[in-house]
Amino acid sequence: MITLRRVQKAFQTGSSRQDILHSVDLRIDPGEYVAIMGKSGSGKSTLLNILGALDSADSGEYILAGKPVHKMRQSKRTALRNTEIGFVFQQFQLIPNLSVYQNVLLPLTYGRKKLGRKKARVLQLLEEVGLADKKKQKPSRLSGGEKQRAAIARALVNEPSILLADEPTGSLDEATTETILQLFDRVHQQGTTIVVITHDQEVADRAQRVIHLKDGALA
Amino acid sequence: MRLGNALKLACFGLWANKFRVLSAMMGIVIGLFAVIVLIAIAVGVKDTLLKQMGSLGAEQILVMPGRVLDSANGQKDFLSGITSVPSTLTYEDAKAVEAVPNVKSVIPQLETVSKAVYEEQNVQAVLVGSTHQYSRVQHADLAEGRFFTEEEQQSKKNVIVLGSNIHDALLGKAAEPQSGSTGIPAPQEKTWWQRALDSLMAGTVVSAEEKTLVGQKLTIGEKEYTVIGVLKPNATLGSSTDNNVIMPIETALANTDMKYLNKMIVEANSTEVIDEVDGAVFSAIKQNHKEIDFSVVKQDQMLGAIDNVTVILQVMLLGITAVALFISGTGIMNVMVMSVRERTREIGIRKAIGATTFEIMAQFFFETLLLCVIGGLFGTGLGYAFIELWNQYIEAFTLTLPLWAIQLALGSTVVIGGLFGIYPALKAARMKPSHALRFE
Ligand SMILES: Nc1ncnc2c1ncn2[C@@H]1O[C@H](COP(=O)(O)OP(=O)(O)O)[C@@H](O)[C@H]1O
Ligand SMILES: [Mg+2]
Repeated sequence: MITLRRVQKAFQTGSSRQDILHSVDLRIDPGEYVAIMGKSGSGKSTLLNILGALDSADSGEYILAGKPVHKMRQSKRTALRNTEIGFVFQQFQLIPNLSVYQNVLLPLTYGRKKLGRKKARVLQLLEEVGLADKKKQKPSRLSGGEKQRAAIARALVNEPSILLADEPTGSLDEATTETILQLFDRVHQQGTTIVVITHDQEVADRAQRVIHLKDGALA
Repeated sequence: MRLGNALKLACFGLWANKFRVLSAMMGIVIGLFAVIVLIAIAVGVKDTLLKQMGSLGAEQILVMPGRVLDSANGQKDFLSGITSVPSTLTYEDAKAVEAVPNVKSVIPQLETVSKAVYEEQNVQAVLVGSTHQYSRVQHADLAEGRFFTEEEQQSKKNVIVLGSNIHDALLGKAAEPQSGSTGIPAPQEKTWWQRALDSLMAGTVVSAEEKTLVGQKLTIGEKEYTVIGVLKPNATLGSSTDNNVIMPIETALANTDMKYLNKMIVEANSTEVIDEVDGAVFSAIKQNHKEIDFSVVKQDQMLGAIDNVTVILQVMLLGITAVALFISGTGIMNVMVMSVRERTREIGIRKAIGATTFEIMAQFFFETLLLCVIGGLFGTGLGYAFIELWNQYIEAFTLTLPLWAIQLALGSTVVIGGLFGIYPALKAARMKPSHALRFE
């Protein structure tokens, strides 16, 4: 269960201070599939970064599975990201010099989870996302859809309880979008909580609940 | 376990960026190459000096005419502090030294320049009078025949042993018979490339019919002598025996006007007694002399003098090494800082999926360290190969690569890598993942 209470976040750029999140309250149940929509620059990515413990709120509380994330030290947050959360980004964020296989393996090399037979796990995931034959390729040789599937495989390799996706289909065409959404459906059916940011109504329609972010608060 | 992982990631990181890595490595490769070769030159110079100044054994003492002045720091100053006085050392002094306890043997040497004549040929030679132990202490091995015996020495036999140059010159084998004034054929007159060429051609030169003077008679200053041996070439500058004609000291004293020794080598029974023998030898000779116009020198003093000569070289070398390593170190650091900047998003990704600050730091630290060590290994290897090649083809001057030079080189790359790896590693580790992921 994810709980945000009165979460505030502002950015200081030079002399001007930008209030992005005023007072965000949010509850997401385990296994829920939630879409967040909102205008560009409304703070969706900022919110997702806080949910993913990549960034911390200026004030407010973030409780994840009963644990106060807002009070955690840096090392705890790092461990949390590694074990509980999978990230998928619009820009894929694959490491260009590593092969698809190595990219997917990466969370395991930093892993604190004792997952037996890492190699088998990576290969199985690559099979599931349909990239088994591309495992030795560099990301630059893949199409957009393939890159995103590799990124999803990487996000899932540590068996996280939450998958956070920031406009995962923003760079993809309709047909490819559909394959990604089907993947998400499957992940959701396996019990993983999914929070997806999107502009696309079609993507939002697949979620169980749609939240709108406007003027720094949820509606 | 974590460190091992970071090391593995560093290897991956380097391999993934191999072209950048290669160019960054050039600096350290060249730096280490220079250091290795410079050290080899310095040690080579020192070795050459050691050979030239005559290799005095640890149990040997050298007595020479003139007084070696003590320099300011109490060491004997061989460079400028030898007073040039005519020798007053005599064979009697040598006999007196022989009686000193713990002295095993005394090898006195008389020296003068004289003309040796064989049939049509005549040559200026360094005429040496010494004992039967001369060939041993001078490391002068025989090419043919034999050295004179103690018996021949005592009975003042007219027997001589020829240095290789003299032998060749008298047979007319040398480039030109030295029938002139200075006339000592000096191998050093050839430049290194001539000698390199000679050594390359050596196999093709048709050797003149092998003749030997052993058993023949030579004339030196009215007297006739029988040649009983010929020495092998012995190419050290200062103490070369190549231009010598050696005869028993008793014979020399009887047949020539040589009277004063130009040096005397004293051998002690062991290195343990060398200090007391040193003092006793000094006292024994002093008894025969009104003033101190001779010097007694031990190996460590000799080595000290040579060390003084090479100290400047070593200081210079140290400076060059430090500068070379510093420059290549900053070069590597720049490349790594650039690499960290270029890989900002990579660092963001790694952090997002669970890399700790420490793991990121360790990865980039090891990347720099590995870069330096691999570059260092290449540079050292290259330097080693260069030295081997040099020594194979260029005989004029031998480069010597001591083990400590390799250890120093590789050790310093570790230090350089460690030192210059800190900053890029901290820079990488300090990045906030949410910022890094937004980096374009
Ligand atoms: N690290 C940051 N430093 C300064 N400003 C930021 C930072 N991250 C986001 N912002 C600003 O906050 C606002 C919201 O950004 P973001 O959360 O990315 O919006 P969205 O994802 O909804 O388009 C933007 O105006 C952006 O410029
Ligand atoms: Mg965004």
